[in-house]
Amino acid sequence: MAAEATIAPAKIGAKIGAGIGAPARPGAPPKSGARTGVPAWLRGLSGLIGFALILEIVPRIGLVSPHYLPPFSAIMVALFRELMSATFWTAFADTMRAWALGLVISLAAGTVIGIVIGSSNLLRTLTYSTIEFLRPIPSVALIPLAVLLFGTQLESTLILVVYAAFWQVLIQVLYGVHDVDPVARETARSYGLGTFAQVRYLIWPTMLPYLMTGVRLAAAVALILAITSEIAIDTEGLGREISQTEAGGAVAIMYAYVIVTGIVGVIVNLGARALERRVLFWHPSMRLDAGSGR
Amino acid sequence: MSGALSLARRAGIVLALPAALIALWWVTSAGSDSFYFPPLATILHTFVTLWLSPDAIPNVVPSLIRFAVGYFAAGLIGIAVGIPVGASRKLRQTLEPVLEFLRAVPPPVLVPVLILFAGIGDEMKILVIVFGCVWPVLLNTVAGVRALDEVLEDVVRCYRIGRMARLWHFVLPGASPQIFTGLRQSLSVGIILMVVSEMFAASNGIGFALVQYQRTFAIPEMWSGIILLGLIGIALSLVFRAAEAWLLAWYHGLRRTQRAN
Amino acid sequence: MLEVKQLRKVYDGAGRAVEAIRDVNFKVGQGELVCIVGPSGAGKTTLLKCIAGLLAPTAGGVILEGNAVHGPPPAMAVVFQEYGRSLFPWMTVHDNVALPLKQKRMTAGRREELVSNALAAVDLANVHGAYPWQLSGGMQQRVAIARAVAYEPHVLLMDEPFAAVDAQTRADLEDLIRVLWHKLEVTVLFVTHDIDESVYLGQRVLIMSHAPTVIMEDVAIDLPDERTQLETRSLPRFGELRKHIYSQIQLAKQGWRPPGT
Repeated sequence: MAAEATIAPAKIGAKIGAGIGAPARPGAPPKSGARTGVPAWLRGLSGLIGFALILEIVPRIGLVSPHYLPPFSAIMVALFRELMSATFWTAFADTMRAWALGLVISLAAGTVIGIVIGSSNLLRTLTYSTIEFLRPIPSVALIPLAVLLFGTQLESTLILVVYAAFWQVLIQVLYGVHDVDPVARETARSYGLGTFAQVRYLIWPTMLPYLMTGVRLAAAVALILAITSEIAIDTEGLGREISQTEAGGAVAIMYAYVIVTGIVGVIVNLGARALERRVLFWHPSMRLDAGSGR
Repeated sequence: MSGALSLARRAGIVLALPAALIALWWVTSAGSDSFYFPPLATILHTFVTLWLSPDAIPNVVPSLIRFAVGYFAAGLIGIAVGIPVGASRKLRQTLEPVLEFLRAVPPPVLVPVLILFAGIGDEMKILVIVFGCVWPVLLNTVAGVRALDEVLEDVVRCYRIGRMARLWHFVLPGASPQIFTGLRQSLSVGIILMVVSEMFAASNGIGFALVQYQRTFAIPEMWSGIILLGLIGIALSLVFRAAEAWLLAWYHGLRRTQRAN
Repeated sequence: MLEVKQLRKVYDGAGRAVEAIRDVNFKVGQGELVCIVGPSGAGKTTLLKCIAGLLAPTAGGVILEGNAVHGPPPAMAVVFQEYGRSLFPWMTVHDNVALPLKQKRMTAGRREELVSNALAAVDLANVHGAYPWQLSGGMQQRVAIARAVAYEPHVLLMDEPFAAVDAQTRADLEDLIRVLWHKLEVTVLFVTHDIDESVYLGQRVLIMSHAPTVIMEDVAIDLPDERTQLETRSLPRFGELRKHIYSQIQLAKQGWRPPGT
């Protein structure tokens, strides 16, 4: 199971805690496939089914009041009904729009600013403290300001989303630019390569793996903040549907929306990971460092 | 360069840009009569009178306590569950899709859900923080346990090291760098949830205060609250780093040696 | 003392069965130093792991002091090739050596005595408080050896322990093994790919064939018991033995097998 890393640069890494030595042991037994006969996907599926069963049985036997937690079947019914309603798809589109816009903006800003800062040692040293100061500020602190300025419009959500996702991208891009081989950079400069050419042939390929990790982290964060803003500020989207259905007592529908946000989250996570793998598959420099990675 | 001079130089570099930005903010907002962007001077003055006085305690302390309780509970649960799941391939394969789904649910979504169960009191807020913070710790613990070195595993087996000793001397320290990554992520999540849960439904707390200021258009107070949250975020981050540097001193030393080779 | 009887190990993987070890039989007497050599791919590590109880054989078995081996037996200690990964990086040298002893019933005083003696025996009396990654490769392997020695085993298994160490250090460590072997009167089973090393160290050398492995020959090393790097290695008998084993291994690499296997 992949785990995002934010302490160290999230390089594609080998084991943590592995000491000095080759990763593969000589004479180690060949890795066997389906050792015990039950394939992984089947086990996973049974886990999901088990989870659904628990959700079905617990309210029915009264362990939890069905008023707070409707049985799984009731939630599924509500979900399918919602999938056929316009309200759902409008809310879904709203959330996706905020997410996509916010992600694109933060990617663009983070990449450009990251390359600019990363390419200059002076800028890097000067901005280090500012970045480390601003980064831990929770973007939800900006909620009141966003509300005052933009009310419940899309811009409020965008402020939160961009502020949070931007840092993920920036940090990764900075690490990426830092990784550029200084000798290569000097060579490029001595051959008179212009700035744009340097970026294109030198910085961009080195930075790409890091950027991909940044995309993955930013995509997840952007979704979280988009929905957070919808819940807290009441901008239109899935989050607002959740808080409204809760307030209105339509509990099964609320859970249906909760499940939808989970599924959207899973798709975003899987999609980002697949994209990262795809892009890095043909990338020539895959560093296998022992570090916090997947 | 003498020690004092180089220290001053380093301090200068660290503070240069922030000082410049603050000065810029101060100057551009000085004569401002914009409603939403009062002069920085006013904001700072409000900050001091509002948050550095004993009156601030009923708001700040409950928030931080709820956060601490939720965060540490989530840490314990995440580690306690993560270790067996990481150690057993069958368990991990069975639970993986469910866990991936549960952790993909944006944590603030749980606020309305938990209001149903736990009302709008302290329990709800702590539960929200726990539910949100447990996932990064759990998943990273699983990853850390999976990545335990096989050679060390053989050493533990061949010297017949008992189960408790194995857990305490091998599994936990071995997975701790990855566990700390998870704890770092859940720190950010926890702060977000602390604020959001209080904005939504509360009678005290920093988030609650912020929403009140916003609703009553007490703008300098609102700004000062934003600054306070920023400072809290920074302070928690620093405390975390100090704790990590201390507990993972061996790991940093090890990595330094590896990089040098 | 130690008997390996009709040992067979087959790996089942992805539809293919890989027969690593076909039929290995040999005996080791009390207090002997026996070396095992073979071409790479001969399953030396597999064999050692089966003897150590870390791997269950497909057929046949290992008998130690009259008891069948089903898991790592308490009378056995193993020194692994990857010294960097076989020591716990979060513990000091002292704690690394002491850890297996904590599982055995003994007083703290006795344990300290064993640790100090073991570290002194490997010439590392001054690094009790250091961390493994602060030490050189050779020193790390000495710590691993000290750990095994402090455990007071009856049989010491060593899996190509000096393969990843430079030649000078290797010579010192080889001599250290002989000194310890004499002093502790322990039985040693030493796996290596280095023919010279096997002749220098052993009283007997078992030559393994290529996979599926059998023992090709059991060579008695009739060199004097007092051995030094300089003198012993220049003895004519050393050259003969070495040449013989070398040619056998060349045959093994070409796939030659004893008749009937």
